[in-house]
Amino acid sequence: MTRALQVRGLRKAYDAPVLAGLDLDVEPGQLVTLLGPSGCGKTTLLRLVAGFDSADGGTVEVAGRLVEGPGAHLPPERRRVAVVPQEGALFPHLSVAANVGFGLPRGQRTGRRTEEVLELVGLAGLGGRMPHELSGGQQQRVAVARALAPGPSLVLLDEPFSALDAGLRAQVRAEVRASLHAAGASAVLVTHDQQEALSVADVVAVVREGRVVQAAAPWEVYSAPADLGVATFVGEAVVLRGEAVGKAVDTPLGRLAVGAVLHGAVDVVVRPEQLDVDPRDGLPTVAAVVADRVFYGHDALLRLRLPDGTEVTARTPGSAFPPPGSSVRLGCRGDVVAFAG
Amino acid sequence: MLPAVATALLALAPLVYLVVRALEDGVGTAAGLLWRERTAWLLVRSLLLATAVTAACLVLGVALAWLTTRTRLPGRRAWVVVAALPLAVPTYVAAFAWLSFLPGLAGSRGVGAFVVLTTCCYPYVLLPVAAALRRADPAGEEVARSLGLTAWQAFRRVTLPQLRPALAAGGLLVALYVLSDFGAVSIMRFDAFTRVIYNSYSSAFDRTPAAVLGLLLVAVTLVLVWLEGRSRGRAGYSRVGQGGPRTAALVPLGRTAVPALALVGGVTAVSLGVPAAALVYWTARGASTSLDAGELLPAALTSLGVAALGALVTTLLAVPVGVLAARRGGRLPRLLERASYLGHALPGIVVALAVVFLSLRVVPALYQELPVLVLAYVVLFLPLAVGAVHASAAQSPPALEEVARSAGSSPAAVLRRVTLPLAAPGIGAGAVLVFLTVMKELPATLVLRPLGYDTLATRLWTETGVADYAAAAPYAALLVLLSAVPAWVLTTRTGERS
Amino acid sequence: MRARPLSRVLTTALVTALLATTAAGCGDDEDEGLVVYTGRNENLIEPLFERFTEETGIEVTARYATSSALAAQLLEEGSSTPADVFLSQDAGALGALQDAGALVPLAPEELDRVPAQYRSSEGAWVGVTGRARVLVYDSAGVDAATLPTGIDGLLAPEYRGRIGYAPSNASWQAFVTALRVTRGEDGARSWLEGFKANAPQAFDNNVLILDAVDRGELDLGLINHYYVYEKAAATEGGLDALNAEIHRFAPGDAGNLVNVTGVGVLQGKADERTARLVDFLLGEEAQTYFAEVNKEYPLIAGVQPDVPGLPALADLQGPDVDLSQLDTLEQTLALLEEVGLT
Repeated sequence: MTRALQVRGLRKAYDAPVLAGLDLDVEPGQLVTLLGPSGCGKTTLLRLVAGFDSADGGTVEVAGRLVEGPGAHLPPERRRVAVVPQEGALFPHLSVAANVGFGLPRGQRTGRRTEEVLELVGLAGLGGRMPHELSGGQQQRVAVARALAPGPSLVLLDEPFSALDAGLRAQVRAEVRASLHAAGASAVLVTHDQQEALSVADVVAVVREGRVVQAAAPWEVYSAPADLGVATFVGEAVVLRGEAVGKAVDTPLGRLAVGAVLHGAVDVVVRPEQLDVDPRDGLPTVAAVVADRVFYGHDALLRLRLPDGTEVTARTPGSAFPPPGSSVRLGCRGDVVAFAG
Repeated sequence: MLPAVATALLALAPLVYLVVRALEDGVGTAAGLLWRERTAWLLVRSLLLATAVTAACLVLGVALAWLTTRTRLPGRRAWVVVAALPLAVPTYVAAFAWLSFLPGLAGSRGVGAFVVLTTCCYPYVLLPVAAALRRADPAGEEVARSLGLTAWQAFRRVTLPQLRPALAAGGLLVALYVLSDFGAVSIMRFDAFTRVIYNSYSSAFDRTPAAVLGLLLVAVTLVLVWLEGRSRGRAGYSRVGQGGPRTAALVPLGRTAVPALALVGGVTAVSLGVPAAALVYWTARGASTSLDAGELLPAALTSLGVAALGALVTTLLAVPVGVLAARRGGRLPRLLERASYLGHALPGIVVALAVVFLSLRVVPALYQELPVLVLAYVVLFLPLAVGAVHASAAQSPPALEEVARSAGSSPAAVLRRVTLPLAAPGIGAGAVLVFLTVMKELPATLVLRPLGYDTLATRLWTETGVADYAAAAPYAALLVLLSAVPAWVLTTRTGERS
Repeated sequence: MRARPLSRVLTTALVTALLATTAAGCGDDEDEGLVVYTGRNENLIEPLFERFTEETGIEVTARYATSSALAAQLLEEGSSTPADVFLSQDAGALGALQDAGALVPLAPEELDRVPAQYRSSEGAWVGVTGRARVLVYDSAGVDAATLPTGIDGLLAPEYRGRIGYAPSNASWQAFVTALRVTRGEDGARSWLEGFKANAPQAFDNNVLILDAVDRGELDLGLINHYYVYEKAAATEGGLDALNAEIHRFAPGDAGNLVNVTGVGVLQGKADERTARLVDFLLGEEAQTYFAEVNKEYPLIAGVQPDVPGLPALADLQGPDVDLSQLDTLEQTLALLEEVGLT
């Protein structure tokens, strides 16, 4: 089966290089999130795939068809690539139904397809409204419906949830993900929000300095990051200096298990949720003093100082919440990740 | 791109004519004409007049725009419309009106020309500024107030800079209008640059000096257009953020309501009242002379017809230039847009003769037919429409067009389905502005109208030619009244939308 | 704002435009008619064209604009011009077309009807009516016998502050041009400087000067003759009832300048119809009409218009100036500005 999207060696420079030979694959029906800090080139990638800009080098194939490559630049309207911009960008002069039907052939614009797609995004019956009569979340879902309506080979979503407030964001995110999957659409979603990337994606592609440094399932990216940078970017991390000896590493937290065989000085990545305060099950521990604490309701973060002065962060259940100054025992659960430093 | 290039070439056509005529007697003759002391002196006078009128229009335009859009001025909504109506008064009617009350205004010091041109032209600034004020996000002003600025300081430091594109565009139109105007300066006996051009036709019957001076005017226009581009600044002015901006809270005027009302009322009373009073006076004085309704009605219909056609064609041709300039920066679109301004600064007679010259060579069959007359209107008034298209197209976010492209629309379809519908109110306003201006146009209409065509403006000219103000008054009155309708549409269009 | 209202507005505009313009444009195909370009006022000349059509059956379609704009237009049009005949308000415009070879020589029998002074020496155009510069005076306050015989007499100290003139008036400027042509630049400058030193009063137009003289507020005024006859026609009692009276300078003085309205036939358009129009304009009916309606001088001997006091053609003794040479207004304006008489 041909890939929904295959990008090879894509290069683009404006004043400075933005994309430096980027590769990316999207399998049919897959939702891939592009995760990276601002300015890493992810929006540029979307614009090149959509055809709003042309590449300096490399190729883009959509559903097996070369749309961008040396001497080839298919205009956006012939790529069958739909986009959902940052703020939805609904046409203010058109009704919801006309927005959704915008990309359909002339005869079908007011037909059943429009209603069908609106139903898919959970907005059945709102076709007669004007965009400004909808809430922000609804507008975003209309934008998705508009993208899905013509049955595109690929949907590109550019930080589609950033304009929504936090409470709404998780809900709309889930709804959009469900709509995309229900439509069987292949999609690329750009975001700089780690939680968003990990929670909606089938595959997370981490972009740094114009390249994809790791593309894998969300849990894999989180638990087995390709390098220290990916490790610290995809989630909160405590980075410790350590000395590896085979499948173990000596750290200020004691001897910890690692998944791979290493030797010599290493950087060790420990996730806050791996650290357990005052464990009851005989986990090896070291002494620590609570320096600071932040309460989140469902859990809490403790900043702890080890005897050698190293500071680490531990995630604890909201019920275990010792005040600053308390002396505690600290253990580390499960394998940690280490990179040769 | 291609249609934009075609439109720009059309706008540049008079230049071809001017160059051909200017160099007819050799470069030496042309240079000699340019270096005469009188040429320089008159150019300076014209530029001084243009500067003074433009400055006065900017001040009046901004003051009236602010009072009618942002304050609790008593009767504000009515003033919005009334303040823009002087646009309907042709400068030659205003000039005659002023002279009939204050004969002393005429003369070389230019007071009369200044008063007439200012009172007729300030709506060119008022309209875009009022539109920009309604668009401008009041949040900026609010932040400024919270940082300790007074209302005036906030206006000066936050709002005024946002108005720069509107001020620059309006000011440019006023300046070019003043440079090309012949009616007001000749009736007010202000020896201005356009008078030399007319004189070189009416006395020497020599087209070379007129062409050389026309080229000089083109050069001045280029400088002005360049200055406008610079004063616009480099910042983007399309609003960042979602949805429409909030409407600004209206400023209560308190005790200043009286002087504010006096200012708005005074300006409109002077601009509209003087011509209106003169028209009523002349009509009353000539009540015995029977009015020939049989000539009035066809002339009115012809005026409306040619103005509508002129507005339609000019706007259609302006769309590619304006959209291109708004959407794609870069040298060529900017150049094309600036090219469209050249005809606007040239006196009507020069453009008319250029069109005579070119149409006889390219489409002799259409000479002195309607299409060629409309073509002259296009060349003369293109910038009015291009400016409107540019401004309104620039406001619609580019993301919308990209979405439309991705949804399978070709660039042409995007233009038709997204860009134009969104820009429609602004484009309509531009078309109305062209319509109004064509209604008032005289010199090119006289030369190029098909034989037997009479418009209100040409009838008016005929009647004043025998110094019969009483007979002329109905034509002038109807011209002003008919123009007042589009002027009114213009203010409601660009303005008070919910 | 939806798309529909805009398209409706546009459609309405287009339909209106087409209706209006076709309505106005019908009767536009007059292949058989004559096309006349004229700087004369439509209201005043149209009845004469109608009389011509009645008499000859030849339709006349006219393009009205200023004589100078039409001359420029004719020069641009060249041989493609739709015009057959040019009826100009002044001789300079005809002179320019003659120089460009745009006019056909007229038939000698037509030319000979008009004194040589008022037609082209090359026969390319012929004068139709004359307009003369005159001095008007307040007959109650000024003794006619003491008035000067030439414009130089106006520079005498006794006239200081007593003369009215209209600096923006084209005829005044034409007079100054004639002065330049006859006396040279220095001669003209010295007269203008003397005139200025005599503190003349500037007026907005000729009518105001005449009114001031007639009311006795002003002693002397330099104007065109026909204003006096028009005022007489509008006044009960006619010329005799006016306080203002005309004084003519000695024969040949620059102050008596006579300019003409003239007619020429465009190159390639000479045929029987154009010949008949020229003949008609020089005929008794037209000449009388010009005199009675416009109070201008007939240029044909023997025409007796009913305008009391209008002198005979032979009494018009203007300076010896080739009217085709009055085409240097720009230099005249520069000179006036230099002297400070603007």
